[in-house]
Amino acid sequence: MTKQEQVKAIFIEEAGEIIEKLDVDIVRFEENSNDFDLLNEIFRGVHTLKGNANAFGFIRLGEFVHHFEDVLDHYRSTKEEIEPYQLELFVDSVDIIKEVMTCELEALPNLPERYPECLGKIKHLIASKKNAPLSVVSERDSEPLFDLASEFGFSCCEQIDAGVANSIRSHQAMQEEGLNLFRIDMTLDDDCYKRGFDHLIFLKLLAEKAKAIESFFDMEEVEALDRFAGDENTIKRVIVIVLTEQTPDEVAENFEFLFDHEVATALIDPDRVPSVEEKLPVVAEKVMGKVPSDTVTASATVPKSTIRIDTFKLDELFDSVGELVIAQNFIAQNGKIRSIEDESISRAIETLSKITKRIQDRVMSLRMVAIRDTFDKMKRVVRDTSKKTGKELHLIVQGEETEIDKTMVDSLSDPLIHIIRNAIDHGLESDGTERLSVGKKVEGTITLRAFHKSGSIVISVSDDGRGINKEKVLKKAIERGVVSGDESLTDTQIFGLIMQPGFSTADTVSDLSGRGVGLDVVKTSIEKLRGKIEIDSKEGEGTTFSMVLPLTLAIIDGMLVQAAGEIYIIPTLSVVESFRPEKEIVHVLKGQGEFVSLRGQHIPVIRLSDVFDLSTERIEPWEGILVCVETDAGRIAIMVDELIGRQQVVIKTLGKSLSRLKEITGGAILGNGDIALILNVDELRPLIEVAHGGN
Amino acid sequence: MTLTAVRSKRERYLTFFLGEEQYGIAIDQIKEIIAMMKVTYVPKTPPFMRGVINLRGAIIPVVDTRLRFGMELVEPTMHTAIIIVEIEKVMIGFIVDRVEEVVSIDASHLSEPPKFGSHIDTDFIRAMAQIDENVVMILDVLKLFEADELVSLEQIRQTQIDEGE
Repeated sequence: MTKQEQVKAIFIEEAGEIIEKLDVDIVRFEENSNDFDLLNEIFRGVHTLKGNANAFGFIRLGEFVHHFEDVLDHYRSTKEEIEPYQLELFVDSVDIIKEVMTCELEALPNLPERYPECLGKIKHLIASKKNAPLSVVSERDSEPLFDLASEFGFSCCEQIDAGVANSIRSHQAMQEEGLNLFRIDMTLDDDCYKRGFDHLIFLKLLAEKAKAIESFFDMEEVEALDRFAGDENTIKRVIVIVLTEQTPDEVAENFEFLFDHEVATALIDPDRVPSVEEKLPVVAEKVMGKVPSDTVTASATVPKSTIRIDTFKLDELFDSVGELVIAQNFIAQNGKIRSIEDESISRAIETLSKITKRIQDRVMSLRMVAIRDTFDKMKRVVRDTSKKTGKELHLIVQGEETEIDKTMVDSLSDPLIHIIRNAIDHGLESDGTERLSVGKKVEGTITLRAFHKSGSIVISVSDDGRGINKEKVLKKAIERGVVSGDESLTDTQIFGLIMQPGFSTADTVSDLSGRGVGLDVVKTSIEKLRGKIEIDSKEGEGTTFSMVLPLTLAIIDGMLVQAAGEIYIIPTLSVVESFRPEKEIVHVLKGQGEFVSLRGQHIPVIRLSDVFDLSTERIEPWEGILVCVETDAGRIAIMVDELIGRQQVVIKTLGKSLSRLKEITGGAILGNGDIALILNVDELRPLIEVAHGGN
Repeated sequence: MTLTAVRSKRERYLTFFLGEEQYGIAIDQIKEIIAMMKVTYVPKTPPFMRGVINLRGAIIPVVDTRLRFGMELVEPTMHTAIIIVEIEKVMIGFIVDRVEEVVSIDASHLSEPPKFGSHIDTDFIRAMAQIDENVVMILDVLKLFEADELVSLEQIRQTQIDEGE
């Protein structure tokens, strides 16, 4: 990757984030259009996007964003009431921005269909609002603090410097308690317009909070009109003296999108200026932006509170910490060290283990992000689905601060969108009268919730709709041949049926219509994350879909078992129970393997030695222990020699050459340094069926 | 042949023994050499794939080079070592009987491998070299890697076909 490509990649990533944020913010703004802080936030995002887009030649995106920015800027500065149809336009605009971005990224020649229409509306809106142009200069008459034009006459450094000195003096005279006086020296690069900045932006930003402001423009390099290039900045040197309530940090924030060398902000001490005033012009003439240090203290630039780290580096760090934990365990469990009966040594080992644990936790937390962003995205989904279906509803969001593995967040959006749409479309009653007739409010409620539950993260979507009709589901399932009908199924199992691949088709009964469309896809993608879906429903009261996910993809809670001479790990999430069977409940079906009858269910027994073609001594099931696990294809009982314990283990791959082994998810390193293989229980059953000619 | 024409500089090789025969691997492909350690058996792999080892927290597959070359299995001795080879970020360990030394071999002393008469798969032998009295077979580690990867690719394809049915 060349430097240029790298920068571009960063831009694309940033732009993606900005657009995502816009998407969320605009919906929030739609809910509360008086929140001008939020509008400012949106404006800033759009503004950055404009600069970036133009800098990378995404002209079409730049053009659109530019006009959108104008509109936002208008409302931002006038705080005018925003009409609903205009809000709609804003939301549409964000959609267009998303689409144009895709077009730009894929270098498609066509623009989104609605682009011209939406751009036209925006332009029209600006035109209608700008009949009385609202520029800084025009406010000059009414508000003397916007006195810009008078300074345009300066044309040489000395005059400017003298003017600056005067200005500082006069502003100091006006200074009161709680006001700060700043001298801001800008040396803008000639490409600054292309990056989306111009001088007025900064003056406007500063003026919003300013008591008094005076600016000096160095016009020396401005070319005659016939040679004037409109897209190049020729007014490079600008000095602003501003008396404001803002703190140095707040002032610096206005300039955060400029390069460091382009701006220098200095706080001028109110008390001790006169003595240096005479020197000021001379010094300033030689060194731009440097003012004698006894009068001025440079304000600290605000450091960014976040940094971007390649996830690969995080993984490496994670691996190293894993090694550290193992090494620490080795020391703590080493017999020789333990036999030393010295308090200081045992205390040191104790401290070491505490620190190691802490480092491990912190490194783990680096991978975790709050689920807020994902939930925010869902607000948009809820809004759109609500509009599309015409159902009035109210969204409740809980537990936004719950943290979840970053790698999981990305794969979570699609299933969540699906479930939410499903809940609104099919969960809620189709019209308000139906709700009223059963004593509910017209407005439906969708609850989006995230919380921790015994080492897992649960994300649930609830509706207060009509619930799932068990009888109908069961009837349908029997018709479709998903279940045979003579099995006794629990409620959970019946609800689980709607996620079976073969369950839903186009001609499902109206009451359930669509329930299940694509739900099997949701199920699969959640299972890929080593999670599971639970459905709970009460007829007439509503349905809850809960996704139970592991805290992180890198660590699983595993049950360590000994089988066929090796230690294997069974993910605890899939374990239902483990027991030593009575001889009476084990049945052998000739040529079809062994079964165990448990509470009316017949569960096939699986021997790892058969699955893995191992030649080990065959013991009878009642001499070993059966671990009953839930798999895609139903319950199975894995026969093991011994249960060793339950442990959180870090999943590692076995390397490319061994990744083809479907029966094994990966390996984990145990406390003593040995490797235990992690079983993929979903792959165990088909093998036994093949081995025994099916059942 | 072209081999001598292209390679005219000295390269360093790590030599090791499998039974009576001496082999060499270009040293820049070797990450480290470790003593034999506990290998965890991985089921459903070819016999020469002995399993995986824990190399300071990384799980690395280990190939029994003797079995890979069709020689009989022997019990590990105090000389048995695992040579960790890394190519394109993939690490594999090779169990060998005894590690000998690092030698510099001038490219002009390398010759084409014989095409016959050996019970060893000659595909993996890049060249032969004469060091004093001994003949050293220089291994092409990349080919070894590729051959094993190829097996896996075929199997992956096979399973996909199975699943598709």
